[in-house]
Amino acid sequence: MSELLQVKNLYTRFHTEDGVVPAVNGISFNLNRGESLGIVGESGCGKSVACLSIMRLIGHPGKVEAEAMLLDGVELQSLSEKKMRSIRGNDMAFIFQEPMTSLNPVYTIGFQLQEAIRLHQGLDKKQSQDKSIEMLKLVGIPRAEKVFHEYPHSLSGGMRQRAMIAMALSCEPKILFADEPTTALDVTIQAQILELMRDLKERINTSIIFISHDLGVISEMVERVIVMYCGSIIEDTDISSLVKDPKHPYTIGLINSKPQINVDLEKLDSIPGAVPNPLNMPGGCPYHPRCNKVMDICKEKFPEKQTISDGHHVSCWLFSKQGREIKS
Amino acid sequence: MNESILQLENVKKYFPIRGGVFSRIIGQVKAVDDVSFKIKKGETLGLVGESGCGKSTLGRTILKLLDPSGGRVYYKGNNIFETDKNELRLLRRELQIIFQDPFSSLNPRLNVGEIIGESLEIHGIATGKEKQERVEYMLDVCGLAPHHHRRYPHEFSGGQRQRVGIARALTLNPDFVVADEPISSLDVSIQAQIVNLMEDLQDKFGLTYLFISHDLSMVRHISDNVAVMYLGKVVEICEKKELYQNPLHPYTQALLSAVPVLDPDSKLERIILSGDVPSPADPPPGCNFNPRCRYAEKRCRQEEPELREINSGHFVSCHLVQEG
Repeated sequence: MSELLQVKNLYTRFHTEDGVVPAVNGISFNLNRGESLGIVGESGCGKSVACLSIMRLIGHPGKVEAEAMLLDGVELQSLSEKKMRSIRGNDMAFIFQEPMTSLNPVYTIGFQLQEAIRLHQGLDKKQSQDKSIEMLKLVGIPRAEKVFHEYPHSLSGGMRQRAMIAMALSCEPKILFADEPTTALDVTIQAQILELMRDLKERINTSIIFISHDLGVISEMVERVIVMYCGSIIEDTDISSLVKDPKHPYTIGLINSKPQINVDLEKLDSIPGAVPNPLNMPGGCPYHPRCNKVMDICKEKFPEKQTISDGHHVSCWLFSKQGREIKS
Repeated sequence: MNESILQLENVKKYFPIRGGVFSRIIGQVKAVDDVSFKIKKGETLGLVGESGCGKSTLGRTILKLLDPSGGRVYYKGNNIFETDKNELRLLRRELQIIFQDPFSSLNPRLNVGEIIGESLEIHGIATGKEKQERVEYMLDVCGLAPHHHRRYPHEFSGGQRQRVGIARALTLNPDFVVADEPISSLDVSIQAQIVNLMEDLQDKFGLTYLFISHDLSMVRHISDNVAVMYLGKVVEICEKKELYQNPLHPYTQALLSAVPVLDPDSKLERIILSGDVPSPADPPPGCNFNPRCRYAEKRCRQEEPELREINSGHFVSCHLVQEG
């Protein structure tokens, strides 16, 4: 598998009146062709901002800096705004969380679908209309010819999300960012959409970056996972070792604080405290005030990435040489 | 422990649809239609269903926060729906509610001490120093610091605000609490804190909960009995274990199978429902679920099924489920 996207030391900071908010704090990851990668974390951990930064969709007062952001070997940061526009929607597409607010209410579904197709593929009106209807059929929208002329308000939440997916996939992007695509939907509709996305991924061979706070959803959709906390990647591994053998105390806490539908528990393991204020981050490891295995060194320095096994990395002092020496 | 604290009989809540020149009533949304069940003292009844199925409306209607359109709710032998204003006010001491969104359900202009203590004054239970003590005690049992009573809601995180909401509901020492999606707006790591707190408080004060949620795994964790709602009706109700192991209604089966499982190797068969929930203003004839049901027969499209007891304590409203 070849590398499609390479991100190295990505920083996104928001320069607000109250101070600098470090939303993304030096994250690095790779995405291979045809791979699906999950990013999990709680609200405010920087998972959406990281993806928007890659798409260059962060506006004022945000500032994006990275050592490298390569798409197919091309440095995204060096591209002009015009060039970037031709990549957005064409090579990289985004599915947003809220299908209610991310579709424009004053244009028909068809118009919004055609827009991207005409812009990026240079098809004429008739051809783009045929292509749009074909896309709507592909995502399982019944009466596609009629829906083409309808406005977003006449569709249900699940149907709107299907239309969003159709729009995102219409130019056959190399990477699809799906930002909590099912969070606003009911479970039975969520199951429909996840099934659809799995099916489409096989057919179109797109790489997916799937963002969610729900590890259950992630585990059904992806092969590899990144766990983020306060703007940093704290653990990354393939999905089955994350579920069966999580290493970072935060990952363990996250897994144990959600009851499973097929397991009985006397008491839930909760993580004490709350996510720290981004304007006032604790020094050292950002998780240390909530961690049940905290050591002195955790309060001083951010832990370096440690390799547990091939493809399983953790940023936690518990697994470093220094940490082990202190413990023993 | 077997005595029921709350008994619902054919509870209905219809919202009128107005239209035309004179805003005449041209239709009705049957948000809650003919719901009957009992809640036993000290238990937690989980109420699950998808958005728009009427579960929150039901929670508010049985407390008479919304005017009911019909039916009866008996609390300790009295019909809540027939109480007058003064009686209702007395009942409010014993029946409380925790709201979904801790951001909009707390008055931003009152400090936490006032929010929690307000009801003590209204009901003439405590004032001055006594009230202060009660407020500090409630903050303490809900996992906040007593000195927090001076702070305003915006100074707290979502989880802490929900603790304030819980303290407010429990300050009058109620018997029965409706928890209307108390955790759905919180982060995963905070949800577990709030659920653990609610369980501790239930043991401590002997509370009875109606726990409304769409999170099926959390409901399984906290409930003793579970009721499943679809389009304003309860389609299945029974003991928790029975429901999750032996769901009988086709909707419950699909709902449970749709929950994502944290196990990449899991090979559970998933039932994918086609289509969306129909509009409650225009429900399909016969069984509400028939257009999406994979077993639907002719009878399902004509006759409305009734809630029948299939096994002991296991009620299902489906024509196709056989007794025994």
